[in-house]
Amino acid sequence: MIFCRRLLTFALGLSFVFGHLSCTRRVSDQDGTINTVVSANIKGLDPIFSSDVYTNAVVAQIYEPLLTYHYLKRPLTLQPLLAAEMPKVSEDGLTHTFKIKKGIQFQDNPAFPGGKGRELVAEDFIYSWKRLADPRNQSDGFWVFDGRIKGLNEWREAVLKEEADYDTPIAGLVAKDPYTLEIQLTRPYYQLHYVLAMTYTAPVPREAVERYKEEFINNPVGTGPYRFDSWVRNSRVTLVKNPNWREEFYPSEGEPEDRARGLLEDAGQALPFAERIVFHEIIEDQPRWLNFMRGNLDFVDIPKDNFESAVVGDSLSPQLAEKGIFLQVSTEPDVTYTAFNMKDPILGQNVNLRKAISLAYDTETLIERFYNGRAIVAHSPIPPGVDGYDPGFRNPYKEYNLEKAKEYLAKAGFPEGQGLPELEFSTISSPTARQMAEYFQQNMAQLGIRVRISSSSWPQFTNKIREGQAQIYGIAWLGDYPDAENFLQLLYGGNVSPGPNGSNFQNEEFDRLYERASRLPAGPERTRLYQQMRDIVVAQAPWVPGAHRQSYYVAHGWLKNFKRNSMIQDYFKYLRVDPKKRAELKAKL
Amino acid sequence: MFKYVVRRLLYTIPILFGVTLLTFLLFHIAGGDPAAQAAGKHASAEEIALLKAQLGLDRPLHQQYFFYLQQIATFDFGRSWATKQNISSMFKAGLGPTLSLTLPAFFLAVLITISLALILAHLRGSWVDRLSLVLCLAMMSISFLVYILAGQYFLAYQFSLFPISGWDPDPILRWTYLALPILIAVVVSIGPDTLFFRTVFLDEISQDYVRTARAKGLAEGRILFKHVLRNALIPIITIVVIRMPFLVMGSLLLEAFFGIPGLGGIMFQAIQNSDFPVIKAMTFIGALLYMFFQLFSDILYAAVDPKIQLR
Repeated sequence: MIFCRRLLTFALGLSFVFGHLSCTRRVSDQDGTINTVVSANIKGLDPIFSSDVYTNAVVAQIYEPLLTYHYLKRPLTLQPLLAAEMPKVSEDGLTHTFKIKKGIQFQDNPAFPGGKGRELVAEDFIYSWKRLADPRNQSDGFWVFDGRIKGLNEWREAVLKEEADYDTPIAGLVAKDPYTLEIQLTRPYYQLHYVLAMTYTAPVPREAVERYKEEFINNPVGTGPYRFDSWVRNSRVTLVKNPNWREEFYPSEGEPEDRARGLLEDAGQALPFAERIVFHEIIEDQPRWLNFMRGNLDFVDIPKDNFESAVVGDSLSPQLAEKGIFLQVSTEPDVTYTAFNMKDPILGQNVNLRKAISLAYDTETLIERFYNGRAIVAHSPIPPGVDGYDPGFRNPYKEYNLEKAKEYLAKAGFPEGQGLPELEFSTISSPTARQMAEYFQQNMAQLGIRVRISSSSWPQFTNKIREGQAQIYGIAWLGDYPDAENFLQLLYGGNVSPGPNGSNFQNEEFDRLYERASRLPAGPERTRLYQQMRDIVVAQAPWVPGAHRQSYYVAHGWLKNFKRNSMIQDYFKYLRVDPKKRAELKAKL
Repeated sequence: MFKYVVRRLLYTIPILFGVTLLTFLLFHIAGGDPAAQAAGKHASAEEIALLKAQLGLDRPLHQQYFFYLQQIATFDFGRSWATKQNISSMFKAGLGPTLSLTLPAFFLAVLITISLALILAHLRGSWVDRLSLVLCLAMMSISFLVYILAGQYFLAYQFSLFPISGWDPDPILRWTYLALPILIAVVVSIGPDTLFFRTVFLDEISQDYVRTARAKGLAEGRILFKHVLRNALIPIITIVVIRMPFLVMGSLLLEAFFGIPGLGGIMFQAIQNSDFPVIKAMTFIGALLYMFFQLFSDILYAAVDPKIQLR
């Protein structure tokens, strides 16, 4: 008994000491600080290295590109950000002229005379895009401009030969005046506007790059609503409100249901709301979830293992709802797929075999088993929310139909799987990926097809695909922008291995349509071409489309204006924390 | 002794040479294509080839290896291919958190398990000893991950005794976040280490000199702490010193679950990303530390056992 009492006293003492210390750290409870989380370590804070979503989550608050997406409207709609208005495009689609907002200031930094940030001008874009193109910088974002802007690829090659530098002019990038930027393209490229909403293309000040050199990655200087405050490497990044940010306001229109959801209550209010954002780097699911449940994080994507306790049917569990937590579901612009290597002598020449495999693969059960039902069946490479997606379209080879699959297998020349050599399914060596591969193996066994699983590390796996050595493999693609072109390019003949077309699908008609569509602006004609390409893919079955995954976010009731879509990265300026409500709701946690 | 140390230091050169060669070859066999990794998902064949040339991966293998040796000689490992960060800075940033976690956990665990083992050796055959053996075996049978998940859920979340996860660079405040992972690391080591040390002590207790000491009427405590412990130091030093390099390399699981920004996580990320410059640096430093502690243990043997002479 005495021991128990002492133990209790000790426990209370510990709780007081550690609890007290941790509370003193959380000064953010008293103000409107947003506490958010990224599930991988942040690599650096330079826009040209912002390819991974976790790094970009931070970088996109510091840096701003010319365009962005409207926060509330769906489908996603582009709108000006640093641009004063949407660009003027010449009739031939080759010249895009941007007017830049006047009075935009770079964040204060010792790189500027007197430490005071200077005004952004058109030349800053030219410098920044040269920097993105400069092969010495080894950015993985150059693809956004590769072969598109007149003279940029030539400048890139000249730089390598030390025949050009940052002062060498480029024919396709001209600053007509400090606030007018003219872009001349090699051929029409209407996706340009989407890539100009990507963080890669955000302007950086030359003075800061030259001052910090390679350490510019740790000394960001942008024009965004937040500026860098501190980074405890591999632990958390803190951003604070940029006091010199221009006047910008919360949107006053959105989707019809946004008003009822309280998403328009702040309409017309000056942005940003939060004084500070803390990005916690928490890699494992359990601490991420427990920190959310404790109220240390304002919102989180529900981890797989916590899904069943958090969501009942399509709604939030009553236990969480009682705590003032709310749920938001967002279908991601992505597609998972099983690809066949079309250069493979068995699979590449036999469309009936590919269709048989597609018909025997039960995607609905896969979604239940591996995604907790958090996905919709993909009938083509084009995901929802993207131009070219047709919610009514059904792929005839995506129905799970073993009888039909057996017929196609017989047509393929392998009745009951007889005579068909063992196939190899490549995957990564994580437990879930392995289980998914085994699920494929079991599905195929029902058809009499023997499948061998080959697991390897991610680098080895991608290498195998790039070298055209993977016979069948499972992979996913998260869109860069909401246009079917970004998904259909995965099947374009010009992108075969080691490019992104890992299935090495080559179809003259598809390529012709792709090239035609890539020269067209958004509109019914381009959408029709996308759908024709989709039909070719369905008929030729180089892939078994898998699923379009959904994100289930939960947020605490004190977080206002929360509407997530993974394409919109600069969303923290719209979020507002109600400190009073936080104190009230935290007591219930 | 001096000659011995110099000779051992000279031996480290071919061993290190072997380690670096093995790491280098293994990476080139199983490391995938780092240029393709770094070039990104949209990269064309030309871009990958260009990056390969810039990273020096298109050069003959012997030249690449020579470059690696040059980096070792200058202790300049350059920048990470994946994060573009300076590797020395990454290492410096990760070392403090790692040592803050592993050193106290290690020394507490050694102290506690040796004390427990001595007590159990003294009580050998009693019900306390038998029960402790069962408990130790049970503790050994539970996965490390279970301790972490349960510790974090119950002690941090349910009972609010500790923060769930996090880190503070402040040398005082960091202990708030370190307390629970250290406690878990210590608890995890109790099972296997107590059993190991108990066996070592029992071996010593059965020696003739212990019987003689008892016959002379020496107190049991004096026999255990002065004679048995001292004579059991050789196997203890072996196990303790061999673990020391791993203190520097970090504890990946604890770091990942408790948000401690240490070297374990850096190494794991480097392997995931085919980040060869970081892998090279960490492997080399790991090998160097391992050999240093081996030498250190040999010197300690001589210090604790007069029968051992280093020649």
